[in-house]
Amino acid sequence: MKKTLSIPTIDDNATDFDILFNLWNQTNNDNMDVTFEFSNCNFLRQNAIAFLGGLIRLIQSKGGTVWFNLESISKTVKANLERNGFIPTLGLGNGSVPKTGNSIPYREDSYQDKDVVVDYLKMYWLGQEWVHVSEMLKDAIVGTVWEIYANAFEHGKSSVRIFSCGQHYPHRHELKLTVVDFGAGIPSNVRLFFEPDPRAQSLNAASCLKWAFQRGNTTKPDGRGLGLDLLKEFVKLNKGKLEIFSHEGYVIIDNKQEKFANKTTFFEGTLVNITFICDESHYRLVSEMVEEPLF
Amino acid sequence: MKLIVYDLIGENCLTLDDGQKIYDLIHPELIASHQIELDFDKAKVFASPFFNIAIGRLLKDIKSEDLNRLLKVNNLAPVGYSVLKRVIENSKEYYSPNENTRKALDAVLLEQSENL
Repeated sequence: MKKTLSIPTIDDNATDFDILFNLWNQTNNDNMDVTFEFSNCNFLRQNAIAFLGGLIRLIQSKGGTVWFNLESISKTVKANLERNGFIPTLGLGNGSVPKTGNSIPYREDSYQDKDVVVDYLKMYWLGQEWVHVSEMLKDAIVGTVWEIYANAFEHGKSSVRIFSCGQHYPHRHELKLTVVDFGAGIPSNVRLFFEPDPRAQSLNAASCLKWAFQRGNTTKPDGRGLGLDLLKEFVKLNKGKLEIFSHEGYVIIDNKQEKFANKTTFFEGTLVNITFICDESHYRLVSEMVEEPLF
Repeated sequence: MKLIVYDLIGENCLTLDDGQKIYDLIHPELIASHQIELDFDKAKVFASPFFNIAIGRLLKDIKSEDLNRLLKVNNLAPVGYSVLKRVIENSKEYYSPNENTRKALDAVLLEQSENL
């Protein structure tokens, strides 16, 4: 099926994610022939870049083809997509080499290579001059963010890769990262866990997400259910923000709220959008070294 | 026996596979009641999948008091220690008798009907 989709300006407010998930809904078929055009696009945030990259790979994995109308892209948007490596990585341009400059690279991970992801987070995301944090705090942030990647690799069960992109917001002193997979989604994994009971199918997406965020709850073997809990705790403690979209479920967690809701737009995979503050003075690390038995 | 974690897996203690490497080395020794020292000198980045498999899973068939007696964890950075403590708390609960999944589903469905 041939289709032309117009990509508007995409920020990372709640409604902007609906735009992305609507694109997924319009292209989630086999053998699509999709052209993306950008005449109404003034900028794309990190969430849009990570998601669009994944969407292109998903369409291609289903036997489809994707065309970028490069003439329709404004100079500034195109320059950003070249600098962060999006256009070269996806083979959409004329083979230019990515120049990172002040942007944070777009990346695709087809398998779990911890050292590569840690280097990316330390060098390109946290390692720039805009982040004023100690090496120890960097290690703590990277370990926490790894929980997102670990969930995506293990739980996503995606036929395509894991896609991520970061962005620095200088005026707000914020650093953002989006990680998206096009796998089964958290609600599907939770329902599968409860599946022997037919009532599991009546669990809505928000209830599934809420269950997955409770300490100790896990669909994984060996009781490995701490990733989301540790992530939540770190974000709340350090005035960050965590948003997760999976199926119709939406979670927003910051130091003021922990809200689980059902949206009208469906996306089968999982998208995590995380915000950290760039200044160490806002951080507190949990440090509970005490002389007591470990077990 | 003393194991230097950095020599075995490097400075990033993150993945299930790395956790498995450590578990495979220490579990048979602990089952045989041999002392183990895990030295985390130079290890920097920590996440729960690693500790869950390397250490949390030991609680499946070894008692807490035996692990306290036999396994010594040294030079672990505070951030790693806090993740490890949480993993151990979680594992203790997971491997103790708890309510079945039917009751857990009852609770989620009840909350869904009330709140969402």
